[in-house]
Amino acid sequence: MNGYGGHILRVNLTTGQVKKEPTPADLARDYLGGRGFGIYFLLKEVPKGADPLGPENKLIISSGPLSGLLVAGGGKCDWTCKAPLTGGYASASMGGHFTAELKYAGLDSIILEGISPKPVYLFIDDDKIELRDASEYWGKGSMTVEKMMKDKFGEEFQCAVIGPAGENMVSFAHINHDFGRQAGRGGVGAVMGSKKVKAIVVRGTKSVPVADLEAYRKAGMALYKACKDAEGLKEWTRYGTTIVTSWCNEVGALPTRNFSAGSFEGAQGIYGQTMREKIVVTDKGCFGCPCPCGKYSKTKKYNSYVEGPEYETIGLLGSNVGIDDIEAVAQANLLCDEMGIDTISAGNVIAWAMECYEKGIFTKQDTGGIELKFGNADAVFKMIEMITKKEGLGALLADGVKKASQEIGKGTEKFAIHVKGMEQSAYQTHNATAMLLAYMTCDVGAHHNRAWAITYDIQVGREKVVPEKVARVIWLQHFRPMFDVLGACRLQWVELGIDRDLYVPLLEAITGIHRTWEDIEKVGERIWNLTRLYWARENADFGRAWDMPAPRFYEDPPKTGVTKGQYTKLEDVNKLLDMYYEQRGWDSNGLPKPETLQKLGIPQELVA
Amino acid sequence: MPAIFRLSGSLKDVVGGKDEYVVEAGHTVREQLLALGIVPETVAMVSVNGAMETKDYVIQDGDTVRVLAVVGGG
Repeated sequence: MNGYGGHILRVNLTTGQVKKEPTPADLARDYLGGRGFGIYFLLKEVPKGADPLGPENKLIISSGPLSGLLVAGGGKCDWTCKAPLTGGYASASMGGHFTAELKYAGLDSIILEGISPKPVYLFIDDDKIELRDASEYWGKGSMTVEKMMKDKFGEEFQCAVIGPAGENMVSFAHINHDFGRQAGRGGVGAVMGSKKVKAIVVRGTKSVPVADLEAYRKAGMALYKACKDAEGLKEWTRYGTTIVTSWCNEVGALPTRNFSAGSFEGAQGIYGQTMREKIVVTDKGCFGCPCPCGKYSKTKKYNSYVEGPEYETIGLLGSNVGIDDIEAVAQANLLCDEMGIDTISAGNVIAWAMECYEKGIFTKQDTGGIELKFGNADAVFKMIEMITKKEGLGALLADGVKKASQEIGKGTEKFAIHVKGMEQSAYQTHNATAMLLAYMTCDVGAHHNRAWAITYDIQVGREKVVPEKVARVIWLQHFRPMFDVLGACRLQWVELGIDRDLYVPLLEAITGIHRTWEDIEKVGERIWNLTRLYWARENADFGRAWDMPAPRFYEDPPKTGVTKGQYTKLEDVNKLLDMYYEQRGWDSNGLPKPETLQKLGIPQELVA
Repeated sequence: MPAIFRLSGSLKDVVGGKDEYVVEAGHTVREQLLALGIVPETVAMVSVNGAMETKDYVIQDGDTVRVLAVVGGG
């Protein structure tokens, strides 16, 4: 099948059986790949009510039709499962080189099922596929293990590894790859840990068939040329995502001290420019990327190397915990990567605990003697370790900020910054209504990946609650995640402004199927509605209340910074949801109407 | 000699797709952005002849000004 590896690998960890199945042509036609495959298998195969950390949950790892080919940024891999963090849908996108090797081994997806009786790793070398004993790796850090595996098998093998946090099933454990790229959010690492799978190691040497080789070469080169010629390539490559830090501070979007403000007095110390001058050693890109945004850094203070930090980590493990030292942020980043926890959730739960401490809700007795104040970098390092080991206060925080705040009570739920149980990524949304809506309605929880709309807010008026903003968010939610379906990076389009129409002939040359962007976005809309159905299937009370943001954004305005005193009124929050549901064809409780599902051609077998 | 004013990334979408303008000297970058209908706060970085500048930089004859859109998250 053109554009595909051609097989799904099913790994039953309970029995140790591995089995390859042909990738169904209609699956590729209707869901394309990546998170499209993920939600299809999740709905179809994981039974209702499955324990996210039990044998019935499945971890579905998928490349897409653009992965591993002559596509600028064709290095994305999707990891889907039922999320231990939220009890709903998880889909984490990972860059690097893993997805290319997967495809060269002839695989479009790996589905991990059941639970292994002992720690194992999955070894794939083309058609040689084995579950192997992982006892020598269990308990070790993710990058330590990746280095061991690279030394043992060779550089050309690509590894995706969990750290001790994944083994301990921390609810926001991630999966690490290429010494600093992650499938980060929702607890996909905990699911891998629950299955006792320490790592997946893969090498492939096969060809991927394409429909029209000459058209493919031309369209692929056109996309590369557009990236190379793009205005802004030089700055983007120099700073990567950290280019946004100073801007966020200037416009009041930089999360500061548990999202209590949007500007940070110590921001200069964590700006992208500061980072580049002080710690960046070199640039680092994913598979086939002509505009590498990854930064490899070395700290003097801690004498350590780390990939990053990215903006999200700077926001959450910098300003949001009151740290103004880029070296300390980089060190916290390194600890999270090695231990195997998501930096975004970690920065949120630690900031929440710091606020609890400063308000006297936690004492030193609760923290194990740690002075858990904003700005204390050593306390952050210690909390990362305690979360990983589920020790003391770390055991509470390891469940995520929603559950932790529900357990503590005392009004702490009001400053637990999450949607649907997923901690919010690094954009302050007191007065950015489109971005607030994007977080409220994101299909995994409060994550920016699906729709990012702050500049749109600023361009049309931050506080405005108008149908145009809602339409913009919906369009972004269909369009942006399609990169995670196709198996390619969206940043070439987002950051460099590459003409999206360049992807259309490329996809057609690869698959041999003509599609317009409207066709592709229709798949995006179908997937979006399916993820909604999944949430509703798994949670009896799912509906409007699950889309509400943290109360901080509608009743606790910033007391400092450029957004001082600004917030979104509760009535406007509800108005946003009303307009959103109506435009989507959902009912007033936020559930898709039957006619909407029918219009989208969603098969009955997935709805039941 | 006029100056060249270039827009990157999503900024060009705000103005309907055109990414390069010939502009007169004497205005600040901020003023030029407003004249094009772009809210200056949506701009992340200004580069003039290869060097970083602020939005208050006054455009000179012969300058090549490049303004970069804000990125959309990693």
